[in-house]
Amino acid sequence: MAYTTFSTLSNDAMKEPMFFGNPVNVARYDQQKFEVFEKLIEKQLSFFWRPEEIDVSRDRIDFMNLPDHEQHIFISNLKYQTLLDSIQGRSPNMALLPIVSLPELETWIETWAFSETIHSRSYTHILRNLFTDPSEVFEDIVNNEEIQKRAIDISGYYDTLIHSVQYMQLHGLDNQDNIEYINLDGEKEVLTLRSLKKKLYLCICSTNALEAIRFYVSFACSFAFAERDLLEGNAKIIKLIARDEALHLTSTQQMLNIWADGKDDPEMAEIALECFSEGREIFLQAAEQEKEWAQYLFKDGSMIGLNEQILCQYVEYISNQRMIAIGYEAPFPVSTNPIPWINHWLVSDNVQVAPQEAEISSYLVGQINSKVDSEDLSTFEL
Amino acid sequence: MTKTLTINGKIYPLDTKKTLLENLESQAIKIEFHCRDGHCGACRCKLLSGKVNYISYPMAYIREDDILTCCSKSQNNIKLATY
Repeated sequence: MAYTTFSTLSNDAMKEPMFFGNPVNVARYDQQKFEVFEKLIEKQLSFFWRPEEIDVSRDRIDFMNLPDHEQHIFISNLKYQTLLDSIQGRSPNMALLPIVSLPELETWIETWAFSETIHSRSYTHILRNLFTDPSEVFEDIVNNEEIQKRAIDISGYYDTLIHSVQYMQLHGLDNQDNIEYINLDGEKEVLTLRSLKKKLYLCICSTNALEAIRFYVSFACSFAFAERDLLEGNAKIIKLIARDEALHLTSTQQMLNIWADGKDDPEMAEIALECFSEGREIFLQAAEQEKEWAQYLFKDGSMIGLNEQILCQYVEYISNQRMIAIGYEAPFPVSTNPIPWINHWLVSDNVQVAPQEAEISSYLVGQINSKVDSEDLSTFEL
Repeated sequence: MTKTLTINGKIYPLDTKKTLLENLESQAIKIEFHCRDGHCGACRCKLLSGKVNYISYPMAYIREDDILTCCSKSQNNIKLATY
């Protein structure tokens, strides 16, 4: 089944599954099979921001005054965030657009990935301010062993899906006797539509673990500096990034839950059951890796307000929350948030970008509140 | 008669003008929240009895007996349980 940029098949998009149905033809948003993706697009568009809006010039002074081990924490964290958004800026497009079947979901994926490219641009904005030549930092992202370990795990699920879908779209699935599919491990594999769907399911699990767990661990580090009134420009940018990430993680939670609850492709509901333990393993593995990462961050010493132990507890806490949200039992015993102050950084409504101005995300341009209660006029006398 | 909000078996008065999350916070109950805008799902609770009205569209996935406390209000007695 080859991909077509405009299918002339007159299909009803309301009856298509999210993925692996007919390719999307008319980009219409007057009707949606899953309204939530349309709402997510609108919300993401209303969140639009640019890194240049945020003044990070004070951060350089703060950074220079940090002791070496804290500089290591800050820069390593930033490198990791850069890696995560490098992946997320392209992968949803590459992996999901060729197989998506709903117009609202297709546009959501594009909107989602685009916002990740803004995040990537903001890391350059931050680093350009901190270093005269930030090349060394960027170059280390591909060379640093600790970062590499994570990168392989995250990109693996995407690459597996992309590779097998490319085979399907080039050769179809019915000609495998003549043209064998050799997977990324160099082994012969017989592909079926079901096995492709399984790869998609696991890929979304891994994406959700990335956006809902891995990112939040890195946010904790960024905000821990700002809690001490340090590197506040950076924290303002990360706050905007966190606001976007909340939407992204919701979208992948929606996909996983929609499948599991049998509201979409019935075969995906079966796969959700079949992959229950494999999915769980992806989350547990992500949590484990984040704990190893915490160890690397704090290898030369901790910082005020955050150390390896507290960050590991947060990894467990946030993993519990995220796994419960997609129908798993909480795997870790921790039940209270070890860093409750982080939640105030994650509130979306009132994102302060400059000391003198607050950007209200729910602000509606040119609209007035038309709801007037008679009680509002109770003190009014004629 | 004041309305009540029951959470994990404990009964508190309910202010129908405030969101459920604000109600819980005004009683000094520690409850998870992130976005306070209905899109992250961090404040998801189980609805044991009662009904809620959403003041904005809840974007996070909510199962049949789940609610988001940050963007909902209740006009009548309500019983919730945290996850």
